[in-house]
Amino acid sequence: MEITVKTIGGTEKEYIEIGCHRKDERVDEIIRFIRSREGILKGTKEDRQYNIPLPDILYIEAVDEKTFIYLEKDCYESGRRLYEFESALISRNFARISKSVIVNLMKINSIKPSLNGRFSCVLTNGEQVIISRKYVPDIKERLKGGSV
Amino acid sequence: MKEHLKTQLAGFFISVTLINVAMFVLGIMLQPDYRFGYEAFAYPLIYGVIGSVPGLVMYSKKELTVWQTLIREFIQMVLIVALIIAFMFGRFHITREYVPQIIGVSLSVMIIYVLVHVFSWLMDLKTASKMTEDLKAFQAKASGEK
Repeated sequence: MEITVKTIGGTEKEYIEIGCHRKDERVDEIIRFIRSREGILKGTKEDRQYNIPLPDILYIEAVDEKTFIYLEKDCYESGRRLYEFESALISRNFARISKSVIVNLMKINSIKPSLNGRFSCVLTNGEQVIISRKYVPDIKERLKGGSV
Repeated sequence: MKEHLKTQLAGFFISVTLINVAMFVLGIMLQPDYRFGYEAFAYPLIYGVIGSVPGLVMYSKKELTVWQTLIREFIQMVLIVALIIAFMFGRFHITREYVPQIIGVSLSVMIIYVLVHVFSWLMDLKTASKMTEDLKAFQAKASGEK
């Protein structure tokens, strides 16, 4: 297999392209490895443990002492506390938006007003999560500042 | 709590403006010949404060659901109507003559309450649109598009 590395300009988006005859297990393994380099979280579902790539996560929610990681279609449970995720993910485009939710800022399609001075994030899968009043100034600052 | 106070303060100023309008409209309709002294300038402020009190009392640390919020808003509106009516007519012996005034004031308070929320929502809509704009710029920057 030939490997080509091309240096691109700083303004261009970095990418990895795989040329293959068909997308088999070997290619999937390469993809999983590349995605793991972007960061992963461990989550369990039906007693099996999975590695969840950070870019796939929509939001993380704490419900009754348990923490759940939500993806487009799946949901995994985690033994970690929400505050642990908060400190670990703050530099990874995630933000705390309420007492119980941390959202992936890259997975928000739009923000709209909700009742009582709160705002609602419309996610890429159409789900909505609430930004509570307390966190609105922080989110505004984060988005305005563009700290990535 | 700080954010709740800010929301209440914005609501207070919108209320004062709308109370001025309501006093003007109700006054023209119900007592067009009545004359006031300078104290009339204080009434919208007093009514604004009265209208804000239930909002401060109704503060909740919990994240309320949409239904819980709507129920609270309704209770808050009923409390405001009751407080304003008590403040305006409490010292009088209520006779039939007062009924149209009480109905007029109650309706005005309800209309003002709804309008305060409509104006606040419109302001939030503008904020949300700016946040979405900033979000798109943030996402472009984060994914290296610029």
